[in-house]
Amino acid sequence: MNQYARMIIVLMIISIASGAVLALSYEITNPTIQEQARQKLEQSVLTVIPGATKMEEIQKEDMIVYIGLDDEGNKKGISFEATGSGFNGPIEIMVGYNPIEGNLLAIEILSMSETPGLGAKIKEEAFTSQFKGKSSEEEFAVKEDVQAISGATISSTAVANAIKTSLDKIVKIYPVGGDL
Amino acid sequence: MQIIKDFVNGLWNENPIFRMVIGICSALAVTTAANNGIAMGLALTFVLTCSSILVSLLRNVIPSKVRIPCYIIVVATFTTVVDLFMKAYFPALYEVLGIFIPLIVVNCIVLARAEAFASKVGVARATADALGMGLGYTWAITLISMIRELLGAGTLFGYQVMGDGFTPWISAILPPGAFIVMGILVGLINMINRKTVKDTDCH
Repeated sequence: MNQYARMIIVLMIISIASGAVLALSYEITNPTIQEQARQKLEQSVLTVIPGATKMEEIQKEDMIVYIGLDDEGNKKGISFEATGSGFNGPIEIMVGYNPIEGNLLAIEILSMSETPGLGAKIKEEAFTSQFKGKSSEEEFAVKEDVQAISGATISSTAVANAIKTSLDKIVKIYPVGGDL
Repeated sequence: MQIIKDFVNGLWNENPIFRMVIGICSALAVTTAANNGIAMGLALTFVLTCSSILVSLLRNVIPSKVRIPCYIIVVATFTTVVDLFMKAYFPALYEVLGIFIPLIVVNCIVLARAEAFASKVGVARATADALGMGLGYTWAITLISMIRELLGAGTLFGYQVMGDGFTPWISAILPPGAFIVMGILVGLINMINRKTVKDTDCH
């Protein structure tokens, strides 16, 4: 057999076999991967809306809003994702909000790549808990309304600004005192 | 026994990290916690073993002119399989190692063993070599990551081992710490090797 034909045939067979293996693995794992992502999202929504046991996803203008419901189907609050740019990359935050009273319920850091031991402390309860009960009218100015982590002002500011930016958008969609 | 010799070779004499100093990109980047070190090591061992077996089986089929693309396809396939399965069944681990798993494709250990060893010998020897190299890589990066985690966070495999008075040396889990720890270990291992060579030397 011509050596060029042999090269092409061998490469082709290896590529086809590889494609088949990849397609099969994808088919097997994809449902689980999707389910993992959904569970993780639901988990974080339920964490930032106390009392909620179920969630509902809706699209409002350009924001995706998750509504937290309790067992009887009462709306307990809404949550949304906020993204800020931190010291080493994007910071994603899930924010729980009560539009009736116009204050924050809780926040959770979904992903970040801040410096371990410094900026990474934005994940800790000591930092995140201070946003609980904050009014949407506050400025979220670091070192005034928001206590920054020492040595990590950039990370702390990124979180505060990201929440404020998204919150302002949400307040336009759900005016304070309005209905859910 | 040749097979045992091939296996032990990767563990010490030709340890990929400490002796050959290849594949250190991932070894420096993921070794911030001991758990990551073990997981990355086992993932690489899996990919290395599977690809070495396949390369060895196909060694008489693959024309030498297109051997590199063939090896890369084989390695990339196994890497993607590990990537998908880890994402599906070990999501917590995937969150930490996620960006490093696809990089196994370009980890020079895998291609080096395929090219230098697996493509020249039978399946049994190729498997022994791959397991030895993989486990050699695993113990090496686990050791590096244990030292870094201990110094940088005061924990070991996630458990607190240092007392309350311990101030973590944060640099250890930042990039400079990787170079410092690895440099010291390579130096120590060279020292041990030089000593054993001297001892067995009979002028």
